[in-house]
This record gives sequence, C-alpha cells and structure tokens, in this order.
Amino acid sequence: MTGTTYIQQIELMQRTLRAETGLSANELQQKYLGVNGAFTLLAKQITEIDPGDRKVAGQPLNNLKNALATAVAAANNPSVKAWVDLSLPGRRPAVGHVHPISQAMAEITKIFTSIGFTRARYPEIDWDWYVFESLNMPPDHPARDEWETFFVAHAPDEKMGQMVLTTHTSNGQVREMERLGKPPIRMINIARCYRRQQDVTHTQMFHQFEGLVVDKGITIQHLKGTLDYFAEQFYGPGTKSRIRPFHFQFTEPSFEVDFSCHLCGGTGCKFCKSGWHEVGGCGMVHPNVLRAGGIDPDVYTGFAFGWGIERTYTLKEGLAIDDIRLLYSGDLQFLEQF
Amino acid sequence: MNILIPHTWLLEHLEADIEPKKLQEYLSLCGPSVERMYEREGDSVYDIEVTTNRADAMSVRGIAREAAAILPQFGVDAKLKPLTAPDVPNPSEELVLPTITENDELNKRTLCVVLSNVDRAPTPDWMAKRLTALDMQIHDAAIDITNYITHELGHPCHAFDYDKLVACGNQIIITEAEAGESFTLLDGATYTAIGGEVIFKDGTGTIIDLPSIKGTANSSVNANTKRILLLAESIDAKKVRFASMTHAIRTTAAQLMEKNADPTLAIDVIRLGVKLYREICGAKVASAVYDHFPRPNTHVAVTLTSEDLFRYLGVVIPLEEAKQMLERLECEVTIIDDSLVVTPPSFRPDLTIPADIVEEVARLYGYHKLPSKLMESAIPTNRPSGTNFTLEETVKEFLATVGWQEVYTYSMVSEAEALATGFTLEEHLKLSNPLTDDKVYLRRSLAPSLSAVLTANPMRQTLSVFEIANIYHPITNELPNEVLTLGIVSSAQYRDVRGILESLCTKLHITNFSIETEAGSSEATICFGKTQEVAGSISYSNGLTIIQIKISALVAHAQSHPTYQPQAKTAIIREDLTFKLPKKTAVGPIMSALEQLDPRITALELSTVYNENHTFTINYHDPNENLTSEQIAPLRKQLVAKVEQNWGGSLVGQLT
Repeated sequence: MTGTTYIQQIELMQRTLRAETGLSANELQQKYLGVNGAFTLLAKQITEIDPGDRKVAGQPLNNLKNALATAVAAANNPSVKAWVDLSLPGRRPAVGHVHPISQAMAEITKIFTSIGFTRARYPEIDWDWYVFESLNMPPDHPARDEWETFFVAHAPDEKMGQMVLTTHTSNGQVREMERLGKPPIRMINIARCYRRQQDVTHTQMFHQFEGLVVDKGITIQHLKGTLDYFAEQFYGPGTKSRIRPFHFQFTEPSFEVDFSCHLCGGTGCKFCKSGWHEVGGCGMVHPNVLRAGGIDPDVYTGFAFGWGIERTYTLKEGLAIDDIRLLYSGDLQFLEQF
Repeated sequence: MNILIPHTWLLEHLEADIEPKKLQEYLSLCGPSVERMYEREGDSVYDIEVTTNRADAMSVRGIAREAAAILPQFGVDAKLKPLTAPDVPNPSEELVLPTITENDELNKRTLCVVLSNVDRAPTPDWMAKRLTALDMQIHDAAIDITNYITHELGHPCHAFDYDKLVACGNQIIITEAEAGESFTLLDGATYTAIGGEVIFKDGTGTIIDLPSIKGTANSSVNANTKRILLLAESIDAKKVRFASMTHAIRTTAAQLMEKNADPTLAIDVIRLGVKLYREICGAKVASAVYDHFPRPNTHVAVTLTSEDLFRYLGVVIPLEEAKQMLERLECEVTIIDDSLVVTPPSFRPDLTIPADIVEEVARLYGYHKLPSKLMESAIPTNRPSGTNFTLEETVKEFLATVGWQEVYTYSMVSEAEALATGFTLEEHLKLSNPLTDDKVYLRRSLAPSLSAVLTANPMRQTLSVFEIANIYHPITNELPNEVLTLGIVSSAQYRDVRGILESLCTKLHITNFSIETEAGSSEATICFGKTQEVAGSISYSNGLTIIQIKISALVAHAQSHPTYQPQAKTAIIREDLTFKLPKKTAVGPIMSALEQLDPRITALELSTVYNENHTFTINYHDPNENLTSEQIAPLRKQLVAKVEQNWGGSLVGQLT
C-alpha cells in the first residue's frame, strides 16, 4: 500500500467519526479501539506501507487517535464541560463601510429596477446641448439661473455649444432617447453633478438620480404611481407622495414632489413643512425635448424626475445630517457610522 | 423668485372669505407654492415661490388672480376685484413732455406723464406698514410709491426728477451703450458699460437711466425734487437680462422685465401712480399721457382637443368644465366640436402650446385628485453595454467587508494635486469659473485625493480607503475620456493590500491576473486575461500602496460564475521548502519560474519570510495517479537547483 492511499483511509475514518453521534462511550471504544476495532486494524497496517512514507503518515494517524480519545471522553461524561469565560469581550475584525451615497444608490437602483427601469450612465462633463439646449433651455434663458454652472475652459463645439460640468442628470434624457432610438424607455440614471455653490446644504459636487419613462399612453397617473412606489419602498410603508405645480423648461406640466413626513405621520412637525418634505422636481416630458431626442410627441408621452440623492437620503429617519459637506470630507468619524 | 404678500393687501384684489391657512394649502396644491407664512404687525404674510415663467404672478394682483381661479375648485366663492384707479385726468397745467427717441427693437412700450407740485410727504403709515412687511426700506412717499405700485401690479415704473431732465435738454434717447461709457446709479455706484446695455441718453450723449433695471443719480428723484416724470417702459427681456447679469444689478424691476412682464399692464401702473401721487403728495397732472406702444402683444390662440387632455391626465375632463377653469385665468375660450380654442391673456406669454393649456386645466382640476398607478406597458430590455452596476456594488461590498472604507472625493483638484499625477497643468481640463482654489482641475488620477483622506485622518495607524469614480483625460475638440476607476490608497503592509486585491480578483472569477514589475521598482502594472491587457497600476512609496484599476477591465474580465473544476481524485501532496535568498532578491519572478517548472507543481505560495529565509508551500499533484515519494523527489531537486542556479539561493535543511 502507498502512503497516499493510507492517508486517504485515515481521512475517511476521521469523517466517519465526526458523523458518529448516537454511540455511547463503550460502543465507540468497542467499534474503534477494541482488539478488532477499526482504528486498531488501521494502525497495524502502517507497517505495510513504504518505509519512506511512514513518517508522513504518522502524524495524521496520531491526530485520529486523539480525536477518538476526545470523542470517547465526551460520550463518557457529557455533562462536564471545560471552564470557559463567556464574559470576555469580543475581538472584532476590521469592518469597513460602504459610503452612505453608495448605499443610497444601491437601494434606489434596486427599487427602480424592480419596476422595470434600466440603469444607465452618461457623461459627467457634457456639451451645453445635452445639459440645457436640447432640454428646451436656449442660451441666456432666465431658467438657467437656477443652475449655477461650472464651465470647462475649452473651445465651444460649433453645434453642441460649451463644455460644462453636468448640473443635473437630465443630460441623460436626450442621450437615452438617442441610445434606444425609440420607446419604450424606462431609464434610471444616477450620477455625480456639479453646481457652483457651497454651504451647509450645498456642495460643489453632489448626486442626482433621474428617471425617464417614454411610451404610448404614459400619463401623470403613472408618474404618481412611480412616486408612490418609490416613497413606500424607500421611506417605509404608509409614506405618501404628492405633486404640486411648478415650472421647468424641460417638462410640461411640471411638478414639485413632496413625500409625507414619516416622523409626524403627515401632521406637521419641526422637521417638515406642514407634514410634507419637498424632495425635487418632475413633470411630463416637454414635446420639444422628445423632438430633440427624435421621438414624435404626437404619438408618445413620458415623464421624468430628477432629485438629489443627498436630500432624498437624509430625509430618512435619524439621518438629519446638519452639514452635508461631511459626506465628501473623507472624515472617518463620520463615515464609519454608516 | 420668492415674493411676500400680506393677506390684507391680497384682499384688496380678491373677494373671498377664507382663512390664511386654507388659502396657503389650496394655492400650494394648484398654483404658486406658499412656502411659509409669517405673522407681521397683525397680518399674515405669505412667502410665495413664483416660477420663472410666471412674471404675471409676481405681484399682489397676480396672486389674487390665481387665488380667484383656484379657490372655487375647493368650493370657496372667490372673485378678482376690478381695478379702481381712474383714467389719468386732464392736465391742470401744460409742462412739456421730454422728446423721446424711440427704438422699437429695444423697447416694447414707453408710457409717461409729468406730475407737478409734488409734496415731499412722509410715506403714509398704511403704506409704510406694508412695505416694512416686505422687508423694504422706507424713504418718503414720492419715492416709495413707485416700489409700492411695482409690488402691487407686477410691472416696474420709475420717477425721474423732471427738472433734471429739463436742465439737460428734456430729451430721452433710447439706445444701446457703447463699451467704456460710464454711468452712476442712484445708490452712488459707478459702472462702465461693456457695450450693448440698453440705456437712456440725453441730447449730449450722457447716460441718464438704466431702464427696467435701476435709475441713475443724474436723473432720479432727490430731496429737492418737486416735479417728476413718472415713466414705465418695457425694455426687451434679453437685453435687460444681459445688462443685469453683466453688472450683477439684480433689482426687482430687472427680475420682472427679464421674465417678460406684460407691457399691457403699464397703463394700470401709470393710473395707480397718478392716483397715489395726487392723494398722498397733492401732485397735479402737468402733461398729457405719452404712450408709445407700436406692437401690442398678439394673442395667438392654442387649440386643444379632449384627447390631448386625456393623453396627459388619463381621465376625461368635460370640455365645458375645462373652459370654465381657463376663463377664470382670463383666457378667452370657445368650444368647437371636440376642441377648446384658447386665447390666453396678454400677461400669459407662457401659454403657447397645447401642453401648456393641459397644465393649466390639470393643476386647477387638482393633481391630488388623479389616481396613482404603475406602468402596464412593455419593459425595455436593451441595456447599456460596457457597464455593470452590480459588479461595482460587489466590489464595494467586498472591500468594505475586509475592513476598507469607501470615500467620495471631489472630481476637481487643486493645482498641486493636479501636478502630483505627473501630468502638466496644460494636460488637464480646467474650470473657467472655479468657485474655490482647491477645486480647479478635473483630475486625471484618484491617488492625490485618496492620499489626502489618509492625511486628514492621522489618528488611524493603518487605514485603507477606496473610491470608484471617473478620471478625465482630455481629447482635442471632443468631450474628455471619462475613465471609471477603482482607486485604493492604503497604509497597510504591501502584501496585505495586494492580497486583498488578489482575493477581489478571485471573488470576481478573474483568471490570468498578474502584476508586472521590474525588480526593485516601486511601480507595477496590473494585467488581466490571456492577452495580459493592462488593467491598472500599483505603486508603493512613503509607506502607501496606491492601486488604480479601470472598472471597464474588471467588467471585461470578471465572470458571474467560475469554470467548474472536478474534484481531485488523487491526493495533493503539500510540503514546505525554505530557501535562504540573497538580499534584495525579487521573489515574484522566482515563484513564477518555479510554478512553470513542471505541470505537477500545481501551486506555490510564500508562507513565511524570516530575514532572508523564505518558506514556500508547494503543492504536487497529478490528476491521473497518486504521486509517490520517488516521483516527488526529482521535482524537489529541480526546484532547489533552479533557485540555486538562477538566484543564488540555498535550501535550508537537507534533501532526503
């Protein structure tokens, strides 16, 4: 017999022993360690293997013998246990943390993909055409005031205009229409955005998620349904959404979205405005935007929404972060809480 | 733009019996959002956000009109009261109006009248109280009346000192400024024109007003003024915006006019002005009313079918009901067959296409009354290529689980951080209008930002942070190449950091992973796949290991599942061999060479290093037969010989 085969037999017996749960100490003794016990016989066979391999086989054989002795002892006196100190404090492994914005993104992605949205990604540095002009915002339009835009020092493109840091994820709207060529469209675009402002509620870099749905027969009711679904999934059962009139150049009609306050149950408290939290804008895609994306507005309708992740996420219970700049500070004391 | 409206002022234009709280709720649901309500001097003051397309609602009267249209939807009787200011009476003396050189391209309307005998009375209490509630400063009546009217009616007007105008020739030329011309506003600040600002000049070429934005000191009312020219003009919106933004003069007048405040309203402004100057200042009308309005707003009808309404709302709204709603917004509406033909009022230039009319009907109907449901239409299945969001999440979760911290750092970096990457400043994209000096260049590496996080957390003896973010490589005349990158910076020991990278690749089922480097170099290349595509880089300096890997390479080489290997039917023999290696010997190449010595050497690991002694754990395996000592002995000899011959190492212990 070769050493290897012998060791395999030892390992097999180890496995068999682990499965022996119902035997008494005597039965174990007899089955393995008696004159004709399985172990006794196996141990004798060591003389039959190549002398060079004996040294290698000795150690596993000894381990098996010890295991048998322990099993017999345990079966003999099952009530006696070793003295251990379970009051000792645990020794923790190092645990890292996924950034809260990533956690929010993952959750948002999951919610929207579960109702058929496809996640997409578009440039963070883009042409004015995609960021503003194709969204029904010609140059010098007062509506652009709301977007404090960073411009890139680069010669403008003849057709596409200036190069800018995306002020919102809405540059993905016409790009998604171009990618798919025709409806149905059900996109969620989550990305970094940039605006030229900085205080406790604004950072030069932030994140938005943009939803875009275009198809035949899409109405405001579907927008409301999508908002309600998101509110319940993200903030918990019973959370309601409402839309109020607003104005954006790229949607018509346009709305502002509120979610009911989960702290006061919608009755009004110091964290909300009369029972509601304002989260962002949405609307029915403007016919000019559909046209810019090559879609016939007489055949198709759609809705779009785009909100800040920071704002949406920190409305969760217990996350009233007083200074959102902390999110991008790299401060471990802050990040390790998440 | 937010506007403050006191409740009692609103009721001068609105006939309705309603509590402020209820008004706030109903207005917000169907019209401009009443964000807050303040109690000031016994009155409720609404703080209302009016959107940029609704200059018509940026006034007391505008909000009253909205309320009169909305409240009936909630069962509250409401009406917009008629305006009470009478026509401007005939002049009691004849002063000469200025000669006005019009420019119909730059200005839509000019309307003015001379008032004499203006008593410089203090602002009456009732007016002062209202203006104070709006956070406005109180001067005297002759000045405050113009602010009051603008707020009430939503169209600005300006009081010139008539005698100052007469002194410089009693002439107004409406034209554009030349670059370099200067003007001093009534607050004393002097500006130099860049050219193209619409201005008023006198006959000598001196600038005497920045119309629709702010008056100049040389023509405005001062303490000695007794006669005024009350003037309301309507400068082209784009021109107003250009001058206002260029010189950062963001007055209420500018904000109204750049949003196309309706020139039709100017006559009501002059009427109300004359009424107030006569009542409060005892003024006399001293000229006829000058009115130049060459192209009154054209009213273009918009046709809307009931199908249009249904397409957006998904419910049927009877056309008669829609007609009544639109009429309360002062639209003229006729029903022809299955269509509404809607002519919006002059103050609603925002209503031009059917979708605009749908919005008006829908908001008055009440969005809150519409049902809520999810889409029943087809789910698109054409997913974007080249991305794998699940993989990104897996990477983040894995690295966090092994104890590393994910961070988000800014995409823009300082000059020093840009230079730290080895690229020149010219090789970076730069912001033309950065907000702060530390965020000017679009980064080409994640390393400086991540290293800064370690510096910012000095209390951590060892810290490993990572980020998945774009870096930006410029391309001439095109958008930059945005390369999504996994960046890692760690102060842990190199072998620990690299080990986690190796485990990550194993987790992602990336085969053929290698790190290529020159002996002793602090830089190495990470390669994936049979073709050994360069996936990223790894470097070590000053105690920090820095890794950057393209996410696209992970996406291309990662697999969702392994290629299954059948269980070994023959035994794997493991043994340790310890070699003493000369100092500064690179271990990587030795291991690669040893692994390739014989196919039966199936794995080789570095288990311990003690001074120059390196212990390798070697697996010998043959899938077809169990290896014997006799078969392993020559393999072992080959290993030892290779190390001795190629690297001058020596086996610790003896071969048996």
